[in-house]
Amino acid sequence: MTATTGDLDIGASRGRLDKTLEFARRNPTVVIGVTILTIMALIAIFAPYIARDPLLLDPVVRLEPPSAANWFGTDHLGRDVYARTVFGTRISLTVGLSVALLSTSIGLVIGLIAGYVRIVDALVMRIMDGLMAIPGILFAIALMALFGSSVQNVIIAITVPEVPRVVRLVRAVVLTIREMPYVEAAVSVGTRLPKILIRHILPNTFAPLMVQATYVCASAVIVEALLSFLGAGTPPEVPSWGNMMAEGRVYFQIKPWLLFFPGLMLAIMVLTVNVLGDGLRDTLDPRIARRMK
Amino acid sequence: MYGYIIRRVLATIPVMVVVGIFVFLLLHLTPGDPAAVIAGDYASPADIARIRAKLGLDLPIYIQFGKWVWALSQGDLGISIFSNLPVAQLIGQRLEPTLMLSLATIIIAIAIAVPLGVIAAWRAGTVVDRFTMLFAVLGFSVPIFVIGYALMYVFAIKLGWFPVQGYVPLAKGFWPFLQSITLPSVALAMLYTALIARITRASVLEVLTEDYIRTARAKGLTSTAVLMRHALKNAAVPIITIIGIGIALLIGGVVVTESVFNIPGLGRLTVDSILRRDYPIIQGIILVFAGVYVIVNLLVDISYTFFDPRIRY
Amino acid sequence: MNEVAVAPAARETEAADRILRIDDLRTYFHTRDGIVRAVDGVSFSVGRGETLCVVGESGCGKSVTAMSILRLLPQPPARIETGSIVFEDRDLLTLTEAEMRRVRGNEISMIFQEPMTSLNPVLTIGQQIAEAIILHQGLSRAEAERHAADMLHRVQISDAPQRLGEYPHQLSGGMRQRVMIAMALSCNPKVLIADEPTTALDVTIQAQILNLMRDLKTDFGTAIILITHDLGVVAEMAERVVVMYAGRKVEEAAVRELFARPLHPYTHGLMGSVPRLNEAAETGERHRLREIEGSVPSLNQLIIGCAFAPRCAFASDRCRVEAPALAEERPGHWTACWEWRAVEERGHA
Repeated sequence: MTATTGDLDIGASRGRLDKTLEFARRNPTVVIGVTILTIMALIAIFAPYIARDPLLLDPVVRLEPPSAANWFGTDHLGRDVYARTVFGTRISLTVGLSVALLSTSIGLVIGLIAGYVRIVDALVMRIMDGLMAIPGILFAIALMALFGSSVQNVIIAITVPEVPRVVRLVRAVVLTIREMPYVEAAVSVGTRLPKILIRHILPNTFAPLMVQATYVCASAVIVEALLSFLGAGTPPEVPSWGNMMAEGRVYFQIKPWLLFFPGLMLAIMVLTVNVLGDGLRDTLDPRIARRMK
Repeated sequence: MYGYIIRRVLATIPVMVVVGIFVFLLLHLTPGDPAAVIAGDYASPADIARIRAKLGLDLPIYIQFGKWVWALSQGDLGISIFSNLPVAQLIGQRLEPTLMLSLATIIIAIAIAVPLGVIAAWRAGTVVDRFTMLFAVLGFSVPIFVIGYALMYVFAIKLGWFPVQGYVPLAKGFWPFLQSITLPSVALAMLYTALIARITRASVLEVLTEDYIRTARAKGLTSTAVLMRHALKNAAVPIITIIGIGIALLIGGVVVTESVFNIPGLGRLTVDSILRRDYPIIQGIILVFAGVYVIVNLLVDISYTFFDPRIRY
Repeated sequence: MNEVAVAPAARETEAADRILRIDDLRTYFHTRDGIVRAVDGVSFSVGRGETLCVVGESGCGKSVTAMSILRLLPQPPARIETGSIVFEDRDLLTLTEAEMRRVRGNEISMIFQEPMTSLNPVLTIGQQIAEAIILHQGLSRAEAERHAADMLHRVQISDAPQRLGEYPHQLSGGMRQRVMIAMALSCNPKVLIADEPTTALDVTIQAQILNLMRDLKTDFGTAIILITHDLGVVAEMAERVVVMYAGRKVEEAAVRELFARPLHPYTHGLMGSVPRLNEAAETGERHRLREIEGSVPSLNQLIIGCAFAPRCAFASDRCRVEAPALAEERPGHWTACWEWRAVEERGHA
């Protein structure tokens, strides 16, 4: 019995829908994670429409607890905490995503080269080992001290300590794939290096890199908050969650809401990104889990 | 086996060299004149010149590096710009609180995490397992200072069981010391515990699928014997590894925790120095922390030989 | 649903020397994709000191049967639905876990296919052998180690005392399998289950291990259930043979009888696919190896009729709708096939 193309199309798309639903049923946490993150992204994008100006000072109403006028209360300069929290989403998401993207790209390039060119490998890995010996936060703080305070510098300062770990990961993949029989076969047929890299090695890095990228993103959000909290992060007027907590800590005992809301948002964002990373790791390949150690 | 140990020790040298170079270059990587950066925004040209001469910044860079390394070998970490005291002395003064905090954290973390991870792996898929993993994800997702403030709010402010801030040295009495250190180390331990528990579970789980576990069961051993005698030793290597790697996170966390709970340790020193651009202290602290990290991981590497006889050659 | 009706004649007679009797064993795996009927109504028995070979392709259920005897399967996915496994006078399936542990490694031992990974890499050989001895025979560590050294000697490993302190990675594959055998026999079990013990070894080592097993069997008087897919091993070692397919027993006979006169198309096919070295010299011509077309049915589908019918050259219409019953068609020779006479004739051609 022949089927018309119309029938085939419906059949195929229903298959995909079924598969997605099946996946959703088996991995409820991933679905929840993606949903929450999407909501956060929407909050970030539409921030100006759902909150008023976060920089607006109004000393008359300083340090007010949550009320109908100010859902999350006001801070010591009379700024609306709710607005600042909402706009803080932008900073955190921007930093998180930028660091994840940057560190994976840079790490990918270095890792590919190190994995394939032996002389470079020894040198590069020694440098990476050395850099990893410096605790990430200290590294970032030191870099911030050097370059001064701005969102861009924060991104760079957090990216640099993350690169060695990505390099390690990529290099491990390269070394493994390089020994595979199908790569040997490709080489023996005369395939040139760039093509081998792109065709065989690169695709194998996608899965572990994606998983690592989510963890890096979560870590970057935390580190940005930490840096700002310590005073070495985003400039003070920028409404980042870390800044809010740094400013609010002085009043913590009597006006805890100044810390509570940004803290809560931080926790939620990082939690969902981590859960997403776990879910990705479980779906993509159980073998990756081994390498993630 | 001794060859392995010696090789591991030698391997730490290049790492420390890289760290040393980075730390040294820290000052010289600033855009602009290092002396001006140190002098600050309000310095006059005369001040800047004076600082330059004082710190020897007018000499060629390799000579500076040489002098710096030489001084290091004598234990001289430089002089703090701000307080004019030797960096080594300042670090020494702040050492105890940080050390105590770290030790307490490590003990709490390992004591909770390893058994938790083992049980989670043993009862994989059950409620215990899911709950453990949920706790683990929470532990390393919620930032340390959020946990710290939460604990502070509940247990110190509302319930009053612990001091809100500060550190009581051991010399002033064991019980007060313990009280002052509980909240900060619990906050710090959360992250570390979560990490170790996850890896423990993953490692034990993987080991439990190995063939030799099947052999052990076929010999009639009890589940406990299988777990303790056959599984754990094999699962040890990744667990010990993560404990070593986690030290880096621990160090970062110490900085934040001391800031939250106002503990006068190395972490606070770091933060203060950063804000004041007191480079010699920053350099000294990074060296010390990196050195600790390297030594701990060296010990971890050496400990492998006890757990896995294949790693002796 | 078509069940395999087991004719009364197929049940083993109550002979006193039957040390292990498996009766209508069904082990199913409850997976997300359905129920996999890995072992679907298997019965056979082993006599004292007898060597029984269980033959079949991968996936026919022979390993699961073996693991079911010692109840080593993880109970959540796997479940022994029905059946009995009577060892001496006790049904193993009714024992508590504690009682079962006393049987394992002590009265019934098992060795596995992969000697490379079946030994714990972080414990010494001596520790691993002595472990079972200390557990089951209550000897002290020193006595157990002496016993272990003796066992190593029995499996023809030289420098036994020195070997005790060595680790598995220091030994070759063949030696590791010898160590496994030493471990399994250390408490003088009445039954040894060997699941493809030589499959992962080189051919020359295979011969050594098999010879060793035969010698030890004579010394210890152990019954052996040898699981294999290799007919050569069957020919060497077996006294009786059970052929399994798709989770069921399809033929059983003494070894010579089976080779001379296979009464099931599957066995017939297996024999035909073994290359014969002397064939050209004997018959003056060489034949193509006859392969059995098709592949093993997936075990989570309900099978209607004979499981082998889709691949069978002798299959009739009756075969496709009615599952054949196991019957003693020739003395001491059971087969589950409607067309067994045709198979017998073809064998004579």
